Amino acid sequence: MGRKNPASQKALNLLRNRLCNPNFIFKPLSDSSDSNYSKLKFLVSSSVTEACNNSILLLGPRGSGKIAVLELVLNDLLLEYPDTLSVIMLNGLLHSDDNCAIKEIARQLCMEHNLMFSKMASFDDNSQFMIAMLRECGLAHKTIIFVLNEFDLFAQGKQRLLYSLLDAMQSVTSQAVVIGVSCRLDADQLLEKRVRSRFSHRKLLFLPPSKEELQRLLEHILSLPMDSSLPRDYAVEFNGKIKNILADERFKEIINTYLNSDSTVNHLLRFLFQAVSYMDLESGFLSLENFKTALPNFQRQPKLESIKDCSILELYILVCMKRLEVKEQNSYNFNSVMKEYKSIHDSFKTSDYYARSVCLLAFEHLLQRELICFTDNRGYSHLVEFRPVKLLISYVELHHGLKSYRSCPVSYLIMCFELILEFWS
Amino acid sequence: MAPSAATADSSPPPSTSGTTENHLQPVFVLHKAASRKYGRKSTGTTKTKRRIDLSSSIPKNFEKTDSESTEDFDDDPYVNLRMEAFEIVWTKIESTIKDVLWNINTNVFNEIGHWVRESFNTIKSFGMLTSHEATQAFPIMKDVSSKQLFTGLVLTKNMEFVDDLLTFEELGHFLKSQGCHVANLSSLDFMAKSGIGGCLRSLLRQFVGASSDAIDMSIMASWYRGQGNYNNPVVVIVNDIERCSGSILSNFILMLSEWVLKVPVILIMGVATTLDAPKSILPSNVLQCLSSYKFTLGTPAERMDAVVDAVFVKQCSGFIISHKVAVFMSNYFVRQDGTLTSFVRALKVACVQHFSMEPLSFLIRGFSLEEDGQVLHDGLLSKMILKHAFNLPSYERNKIEEQSVERFAIGLSRLKRLKNQWGTMVSCLYEAAKGDKIQLLDLLREALDPTSCNSTTSNSHIKLEKDIGASSSKDCQQYPMLRRGGFICQAVRKVKDLPASQLWKLLKRWEGLTMNVNEMHEKIKELLSLLKLENGKSSKQHMVDISKFLVLTTMLWKIGMKDLKFELEMGKRNPQRNHARRNASQSQFNIEDSKVVNVKAAALMECMVWDYMQPIECLPFHEIICFKNVEKLQLALIGDPRRRIQVDLLEFYKILRCSCCSRIGDTLSPSMHDTSIMYNLAQEHGDYINLHDWYNSFKSTVLCPINKGKNKSKQSPIPKKRKEMNEPKKQSEASIQYPLLYIIFFNVLDLLT
Amino acid sequence: MAKDKEEVTQVNRRATRLSLSTANSTNDIEAAKSFNSQTLTLDNLVFGREPIGLDDLLSCFPGRRVQILEILHLLGTIKSSMPPMFIYGSASTGKTSIILQVFHHLRRPFVYISCLSCYSPRILFESILNQLLFHKKDAVNGYSSVKKCEKPSDFVNFIREALINVIDSLKENSKKMSSSKLKGQVNGRMIYLIFDNFDLVREWDKSSSILPLLFGLCDILKIPEVGFIFISNSSPDTYYSNTGYMEPILVYFPEYTEDDLRQIFMRNQANQKLYSSFLDVVLRPFCRVSRRLDELSTAFSTLFKKYCEPLSDLGVAPNEDMKRRLFSHIQPHIAHSLNEIFSVASQPSVESEANQETRKKGSAKKSVGSGDFDEIDFHMSTSAKYLLISAFLASRNPATLDASLFDSTGGSNSRKRKRNCNLLIKYFLLRVSEKSVERREAEEQELFMKGPGTFSLERLLAIFQCITSVGEDSFGEEGGADGVTVEGESNGLMSDVLLQLSSLCNVNFIVKGGSCPLEGSTRYRSTVSEDLALKVARSLKFPLSKYLFRR
Repeated sequence: MGRKNPASQKALNLLRNRLCNPNFIFKPLSDSSDSNYSKLKFLVSSSVTEACNNSILLLGPRGSGKIAVLELVLNDLLLEYPDTLSVIMLNGLLHSDDNCAIKEIARQLCMEHNLMFSKMASFDDNSQFMIAMLRECGLAHKTIIFVLNEFDLFAQGKQRLLYSLLDAMQSVTSQAVVIGVSCRLDADQLLEKRVRSRFSHRKLLFLPPSKEELQRLLEHILSLPMDSSLPRDYAVEFNGKIKNILADERFKEIINTYLNSDSTVNHLLRFLFQAVSYMDLESGFLSLENFKTALPNFQRQPKLESIKDCSILELYILVCMKRLEVKEQNSYNFNSVMKEYKSIHDSFKTSDYYARSVCLLAFEHLLQRELICFTDNRGYSHLVEFRPVKLLISYVELHHGLKSYRSCPVSYLIMCFELILEFWS
Repeated sequence: MAPSAATADSSPPPSTSGTTENHLQPVFVLHKAASRKYGRKSTGTTKTKRRIDLSSSIPKNFEKTDSESTEDFDDDPYVNLRMEAFEIVWTKIESTIKDVLWNINTNVFNEIGHWVRESFNTIKSFGMLTSHEATQAFPIMKDVSSKQLFTGLVLTKNMEFVDDLLTFEELGHFLKSQGCHVANLSSLDFMAKSGIGGCLRSLLRQFVGASSDAIDMSIMASWYRGQGNYNNPVVVIVNDIERCSGSILSNFILMLSEWVLKVPVILIMGVATTLDAPKSILPSNVLQCLSSYKFTLGTPAERMDAVVDAVFVKQCSGFIISHKVAVFMSNYFVRQDGTLTSFVRALKVACVQHFSMEPLSFLIRGFSLEEDGQVLHDGLLSKMILKHAFNLPSYERNKIEEQSVERFAIGLSRLKRLKNQWGTMVSCLYEAAKGDKIQLLDLLREALDPTSCNSTTSNSHIKLEKDIGASSSKDCQQYPMLRRGGFICQAVRKVKDLPASQLWKLLKRWEGLTMNVNEMHEKIKELLSLLKLENGKSSKQHMVDISKFLVLTTMLWKIGMKDLKFELEMGKRNPQRNHARRNASQSQFNIEDSKVVNVKAAALMECMVWDYMQPIECLPFHEIICFKNVEKLQLALIGDPRRRIQVDLLEFYKILRCSCCSRIGDTLSPSMHDTSIMYNLAQEHGDYINLHDWYNSFKSTVLCPINKGKNKSKQSPIPKKRKEMNEPKKQSEASIQYPLLYIIFFNVLDLLT
Repeated sequence: MAKDKEEVTQVNRRATRLSLSTANSTNDIEAAKSFNSQTLTLDNLVFGREPIGLDDLLSCFPGRRVQILEILHLLGTIKSSMPPMFIYGSASTGKTSIILQVFHHLRRPFVYISCLSCYSPRILFESILNQLLFHKKDAVNGYSSVKKCEKPSDFVNFIREALINVIDSLKENSKKMSSSKLKGQVNGRMIYLIFDNFDLVREWDKSSSILPLLFGLCDILKIPEVGFIFISNSSPDTYYSNTGYMEPILVYFPEYTEDDLRQIFMRNQANQKLYSSFLDVVLRPFCRVSRRLDELSTAFSTLFKKYCEPLSDLGVAPNEDMKRRLFSHIQPHIAHSLNEIFSVASQPSVESEANQETRKKGSAKKSVGSGDFDEIDFHMSTSAKYLLISAFLASRNPATLDASLFDSTGGSNSRKRKRNCNLLIKYFLLRVSEKSVERREAEEQELFMKGPGTFSLERLLAIFQCITSVGEDSFGEEGGADGVTVEGESNGLMSDVLLQLSSLCNVNFIVKGGSCPLEGSTRYRSTVSEDLALKVARSLKFPLSKYLFRR
């Protein structure tokens, strides 16, 4: 892509890598005293220092940086107390069944304390091993921190793992912290009684950042560091431009419109990433246009797009189905659609009237586009034309799609729509 | 009404009838339609109407046939003779059938092989892959049609697919011999429950052999690369797509089409019904990546004709079936599944039974051999056999006193000769009838019909002359063989109005066919020469040379001439011929030309039919080669177990030979077996029985003394029973306990339905 | 799946590839012989051999410039990591081949997994691992994969190791490259996992657990040097999950516009002018039905042949009147193939000459008369035919009508009428149990515009009996008058109806419906098209239309 100056290239890489690395992002949010970061850190460190058991839930929507903050905390703690704590990471997606969860715990424990881990060990062996390790570490005043990501998935099934963990923590000797991370706010409601009774009900809620936080965040992310390999004057100029952009009203409103759709930090990061990746390398500076161009990619309406993809015939079928729906024909199938299609054809004398087979094919296309679907899930595959179907798009979407249809000749389709309107009124 | 009604009965709703809440719900009595025939002849009172008449019950004619064959003489030496004769004959028949079928399929196979090659070349034309590319996971994106999966849809013109299993196997062997890698999959591999893994597994088992537990196409790819040279297509044959589950099949196809450049798979799918079948099974996006070609196998009818022709008409093995059997078998073929397999099975059964029953059947061996009667000369023939032979009904029909080996031998050889002639005639007729939809099987059926020639004095020519003079004018009504509407008659008539060119071809073919029967051959030769002559001559002289011809031809030609005259005058009367004459006044003569020859040919046909085509069953000694016993065959094929049981129930006293019942006959007595009482009662009642009444009548029969039972069972209708049902009730409760009765009841019910 | 028909290799490149392949086809073979010895390296993770320039890339895909540039932007430079990317768009819009070509252009290593070929989680895992560990299944290792892993947890551990190894080797590789200026095969520090046909994963039975895993894999692994690319036919909003997914970056491939299609079809045509005139005629009407490239191309390939038929040499540049002539020539074909556009069976040239004798027979039959068209072109036994017809009737007519219909058809013959009478009585008694079901179904059918109704076995048999009794006489003349025939047919028809029924079910003429709730018996429905039923009836000389109850 033409000649590019290495500095801007470097800067771009730097920004991109930042944006892909949450630990960097959440640094600035962490220093305030009442931030989740400090709360969590306090809790864990206290339980380390006072050699007591503890358990906590980190709750918040996806991409609100729970894990990131947690990791920040853990890293700091590992620096503070180098050899008195060991971290066990579990993920509900992987270890939701107790057997392999215990196994995984045993494996990580072995790795921590560089012991031999036998794959063959049974569930009971592993659990006994875990409890033994808990006791040992307790005696050695080492804290084991269990991080259960996707906590809600652990709550599925018999919850044997949770029970055995929490139960082991009841004994004074052991010294462990269980940190559950979940994006279900009702995660603790999922627990069985025996488990919940052993669980301390501390929760940390992760909320989307406030306006000024956001501002700080953006600045922190987008501005280049002075003390890097980058040429200083370039960095200065770059940061200056960034400041201007951030100050710019239009940018603010872009961000606002954007945050209206989804306000989690991660989502924002995606947006920024796209914007940054549009940075043109000749000039080597971010511009407002980059953000402008990035915006529409995040206001996609897939249904609308796939309506635009439809061919005329498919549109016809959609319209017919919509008409049927408007006529309060609450359940219909391909045959009834065909009838409607014929009636439209008769009333409007449209140029394109196709054979049943072709219409059936268009029908299948619509099924593949997932604009329509069968209401029953019985598999009489060869009776397609008799299975009841339903639209997956609203009236407004369809109307919008028709209006903004690329090529012109949908006029009579629109007319059909006017008819629908009559039906409605 | 009842018997037919009986056939029309439908089975009762199984569970509901028994349960206590609807005692009064009627129960329907279902009989197999087999009993309908008897129903027809017996239009009696309501009492006897339901009786399955026992006169034709199977076991009897068992005894009959067996006894008559065995009691005559003990045939220890001949049993194994017959057995080995059977071996020989059957192997002969089987082999003929096999290569007949092969011949039928062969050109379709060639076609398919050719197509496979072509499509493989098109696949290769997308360029050669390095071994790395070919085994890599990502697809090779080449061309518009590079994803197309070449698919041959083989229409097996039969709803049943039994025959086609064999066919596809052979196809597989054929393609293997062409150097393709072939895998035969059946619908069992495309079950919904085994999933896509199932069919992949069986595919790999056939190609790779090593079936690891995690199976995907990459294994196929690396295997194919491992094969060394890449000049052989991979052919996957799916027997019957109708039975496959659509989703699995479509997944399979998509997968193949994704890998088609790496593993040049060519798909061959058997379609039993129509070309809509794949459309209905597969979704459009799957159909999209098939580029399909259709091939057509021979219809069952064609195969059938070929087989029949090879086995019965041509000189295969002396064995042949009687008219009744032929009729039965053809019906069996048309009405039942219509598969060749079943037909062959029937044939085999017939063959076995013939050899097991007919003591002289081992002589057939000699039949298949060239020099006849060699069996006779090696002194195997004992007096007993001779006696038996000359007692054969067919022989007694035409009396010749002295019973010597020579005469027997002569008889046999004559039988053989006549059979040959018969065969050639049938095939000639078939040739004539071909264009029509006449099937050889029907033709055969008619040709075998013994009623067709009422008297077979060996030289029937005198009589022949007489009535031919008359009959030919009346369009062969005298020949029962040439019955109006009969297939043979159709064939002959067809000969009459063939255009000259086709006639010429036909005659040529006849000439070929009649090679070994020289009389026929001569005549046909003459006819051919005549045809040549006339084609040469102008229309004027042809009358002349006809007359000349007349002088020097035999009686046969007289017939022909008479026929011709008749035709001519017919023509005068016949309006539309007049019409033809009018508007084609010039060409009229040439019409006549061709007509003449046609007529002659037809006439020749007729006489030949008359004197060469004597139905086998009219020949002496035909029992030796001809299998007649329909009932046994029928029993063996569609044996009717339920009917047997019903019969046994009706005449149980044959089985348990108790003194009490045997004399009573068909009246019910309490001493009878409960089940049979139940059944009898069920028979007496109408089409459907009120369970309650049934029970009561049963109780009454069981409880009351015989005489009462007698007259009670006389008066059938239900309400009366209702009335007098009361007084036996009291003592009944003790004697009969419901549960037991229910068990019996259900047994009977099972029998009935 | 991306049925992409792009000509991704323009002519010269094709030529080089061909020549090259022909050149080393021999050592291909011996390479295949020494298959196991041949060791795989990083280079095997790269697509294609000869480098392809950006301009070539853009020119290969008309109408896809925007998408390609966007993807390039998002992939960024060598060292820069990237969040997961989600490419979607309807079938055959060039998703797969564009991604492949882009990576070919960038010469970066990637692992390609088609969720179509890898039809289960285990296969998916193992094929990823095989590619990462440069393992090939072959006869030597018994076609087994490098590691046996079914559990996601094992998979994650394995893949982490594997990825780290690969990335290290990439690092030193790039170091080598930077030190020694020679142009190596592999380029960049990143490795990408490409999941194609991702929408198929939703149909897997374990999809509820596997989908979040694959989407979240990048957060689980937390290796910045790994990029994830998902290619899917269906839009992201169709991937449901109760706890949601990490938002990927979306790239959308819209359908080709008419002009794009024109450009695509015009590429590497021998006679540009001719083809463009052809497109003028054809493209517009077809686009109204479907703009899918694969479907159009199959339709056009045949149509263009037809279009060229009148031409003597294909080199000519058509002038106006020739165009007009050609148009008038092609016109009917267009109309036909518009409605028949997606028909499967095509008549091969092979068949035409080789099938001649069968053809001849057919023609002969026609000549005899009783035109071939109204015959069923496959063999069914008579009883099967009757059964088919009765099934057809049973599912077309409402059960309440059987009485009237079949009573009327009793015919002159008193015997038959009687028979039918007590048949009908039987119906009523049967329908005591059935009626409610029937009524409910009637309503349901009204709802569904008459899907073929279901019927119980009893009803089928009864109707079958009626029909056969009516069709009797047609047998009479057909089978000859002798008693044997009668007998033969009587048990010929009645003997194994159930076998016939099962074989009808096998060829999907009759479908086993769900067993009805009241009585446990399974219910059937016939799926035969009306004209087929009529054909069958005609072949039996059976007056079907008299029995059909028309609404």
